[in-house]
Amino acid sequence: MAGSRLETVGSVFSRTRNLMRAGVLKEKPLWYDVYKAFPPLREPVFQKPNLRYGKAKATIQDIFYHEDRIRAKFFSAYGSGPKAFDLFNPNFKSTCERFVEKYIELQNLGETNEEKLFVETGKALLAEGIILRRIGEARAVTIRHQAAAEGNQPQKDDAWEQQEAREEPQGACSGL
Amino acid sequence: MAPARTALPRLLCAGVRSARRWPGFLRKATPGPAGPSGRMLTGAPNPARSEPQDDHDLQRKILDLPLKHSDFFNVKELFSVKSLFEARVHLGHKAGCRHRFMEPYIFGSRLDQDIIDLEQTASHLQLALNFTAHVAYRKGIILFVSRNRQFMHLIENTAQNCGEYAHTRYFKGGLLTNAQLLFGPEVRLPDLIIFLHTLNNVFEPHVAVRDAAKMNIPTVGIVDTNCNPCLITYPIPGNDDSPPAVHLYCRLFCTTINRAKEKRRQMEILYQLPSVKRAEDSGTRRSS
Repeated sequence: MAGSRLETVGSVFSRTRNLMRAGVLKEKPLWYDVYKAFPPLREPVFQKPNLRYGKAKATIQDIFYHEDRIRAKFFSAYGSGPKAFDLFNPNFKSTCERFVEKYIELQNLGETNEEKLFVETGKALLAEGIILRRIGEARAVTIRHQAAAEGNQPQKDDAWEQQEAREEPQGACSGL
Repeated sequence: MAPARTALPRLLCAGVRSARRWPGFLRKATPGPAGPSGRMLTGAPNPARSEPQDDHDLQRKILDLPLKHSDFFNVKELFSVKSLFEARVHLGHKAGCRHRFMEPYIFGSRLDQDIIDLEQTASHLQLALNFTAHVAYRKGIILFVSRNRQFMHLIENTAQNCGEYAHTRYFKGGLLTNAQLLFGPEVRLPDLIIFLHTLNNVFEPHVAVRDAAKMNIPTVGIVDTNCNPCLITYPIPGNDDSPPAVHLYCRLFCTTINRAKEKRRQMEILYQLPSVKRAEDSGTRRSS
C-alpha cells in the first residue's frame, strides 16, 4: 500500500488527501471520512520547538486571588496553623481558610485598618476555640506545655530555649 | 438505550423516503396477496435482482448516516467540566517543565504550577471521543499506548474490556514502520492509536507518536504541560499523572468504544438482513 512517511511536511490528512488525488493511494483509509467530517481544532502539522531567547517570556498569567494577601499574612505570622491539612476531603476547611472567611466578614462589616482586622480576626477565632500560635517565638507545643495556662507559657518557653541552647553545644561537641 | 430509540424513528423515516430503492415486497407489504406460507410471492424475484445494489446502498447508509450528526454517539453526556475538575485533570506540571506548544492550552499558573484550561480540554475531549467512537463504529483497530508503569495494568485491562489492543511495554524499533518484516506480509496496522501518556520513561516523546504520523495513522493523545502536542491529531490537554485522571480517561474511552460497537451491531441488525428473512425477523424485532 502506498504511503508517505514525511511526518514533518503536512498533516496526516493532507498527505493522504493529496496521495489519493494523485491516484497513488487507491483505497480510502477508514478514518478519512471521519476526519473530514470532524476535523480537529488545530491541524496536526509538525512545528519545530524553538527555545525562547533573551527577554521573551511566555504569555501565561499568574493566578492570584485577593484572599492570597490575607493568606500570606496568616502564614507568615502563624505558620500552617494548628490543624493538619486533610487533602482527601474535597470540602475541607483549613484554619487558614476559616481565618480568611472571618477576615472578609469583618471587612464587610466596615473595618478598614489591616492590622486591626488581623488582630480582630485572631480574637474572633479564639472565641470559636481555635488557638493560633505565632511562629518566631520558640514553639513549645508538646502535650505537657499545652496543658499549662497561657500565663505560664512565656516562662516555660524561656526554660525550653535555655535547654535547647544548652543542648546544642553538647550536640556539636559530640559530633566532632 | 436512549440514543438508539431516538435514532430509530429517523432511520425508519429514512427508509420511507428512499422507498424506490427498497426491494419491491416491502412496499407491497400491507396490500398484496399472501400465499399459503404467509410469504410474499410477488416479491421474490425483486430482491434477488437489486441485492448487490442494495448492499452497497445499505453499507453507504450505515457509514454515512452517523457523520451527518454532530454527536451521533452522544459523547458529551459522558463528562462535564466539573467531573474533569474533580478528577484533577486541570493540574499540570511546574512552570519550568512547560512545553512551549502547550501554552495556548494553559489557563494560568498558580504559585508556579500550571493549571490547564478545562473549557478547552472539554472541547478537545469531545472531538477526540467522537472520533474514537466513529473509528470503532467502522470496525477500526484501536491501539492504546502508554509507557507509564503505574497505569500499565489498568490500560491493558481497559483495552481488554473494549475488545481492542494495548501496547504498554517496550516499543521495539520498527514496530509500525517495519511491521511487514516483524509480523508478516499481510498485517493490518491500527487505524487509531490512543496515547494515555505521550512521554516515555525518560521524558522524551514516545516513538509511536512520530511513527504513527509516518504511517498516516491518526492519533488521539492526552498531552500534559510537558508534552509536545504537534504531531497528535486530536490532542487532549490534561493531567496524565494523577490516578483519578487516568481512571477517568480509561473509563471514557472504554464507554465510547463499547457504545460505538453496540450502535454498529444495532444498525447492522436494522439494515443488513437477508431479504428473505426480513419479513419474519423485522416482525420479531419490532415486537421485542
